[in-house]
Amino acid sequence: MKKLTALAAAFAAAAAFTGCTEIAQEPGKSYAGKEDAKPYAGDQFKGDKAKWEASLAQRSQGQNDYLRMPSDKK
Amino acid sequence: MARMKFICDAERCIECNGCVTACKSEHEVPWGVNRRRLVTVNDGKPGERSISVACMHCTDAPCMAVCPVDCFYKTEDGIVLHDKDLCVGCGYCFYACPFGAPQFPQAGAFGLRGKMDKCTYCAGGPEENGSAEEYRKYGRNRLAEGKLPACAEMCSTKALLAGDAEVLTKIYRTRVVTRGKGEEIWGWSMAYGGSGKLADQPGGKA
Repeated sequence: MKKLTALAAAFAAAAAFTGCTEIAQEPGKSYAGKEDAKPYAGDQFKGDKAKWEASLAQRSQGQNDYLRMPSDKK
Repeated sequence: MARMKFICDAERCIECNGCVTACKSEHEVPWGVNRRRLVTVNDGKPGERSISVACMHCTDAPCMAVCPVDCFYKTEDGIVLHDKDLCVGCGYCFYACPFGAPQFPQAGAFGLRGKMDKCTYCAGGPEENGSAEEYRKYGRNRLAEGKLPACAEMCSTKALLAGDAEVLTKIYRTRVVTRGKGEEIWGWSMAYGGSGKLADQPGGKA
């Protein structure tokens, strides 16, 4: 009986955790159009993905006005 | 891998339409096509809230699922884009989208539709980055310039945020924690005094 309860608990935990999984970001469907260039492939970043990501991250943080405020005014 | 998303903070949006104007201006969007728009609930009543809505670049996008010519694709940053050269203007994506994002320019008489147009997250489309052709079909590619979408960057109250979902979540969480509460602190009572409850405000319902 104990074994059965443990098994049921394990099954319930596994079932509950499936809700926490994230579905794949990759499209399941085929794309029939033209290939798009990477956004960091142009003249500005010359294929340097890290530099491009850093630029976007800096811009993103510009939206956080709690960081833009002087620390004594927080 | 980044996951580019939008989030609109209804507590901050003042319905100024700056995001709508920024989008229209940045991409020279034709008359009748609205890639971004404002939705207001309880307009003119206490508790009025507005949010800015455009393509939400869904993780599991229904527009992609229903397109009969497979013209949609998703970039490695999670941005949903489409190839206008393939689009036949059938309108299936419009019916599938829960946000009303796909827009169709009226191409001629008798309700004839043109190719679908929608928010590109300022990431252009499947043409050479920054080319005139890309601009003509999809608008400016700000992402290739290392910039975020114009709507979010233009937002004066920073109600509309754009960027990697992880970063946005952190910014939004900081705001909510700092506010402590919702309208009890920041709403009517803060501006005019008295009770913060909606039911106690003029015209408010219990």
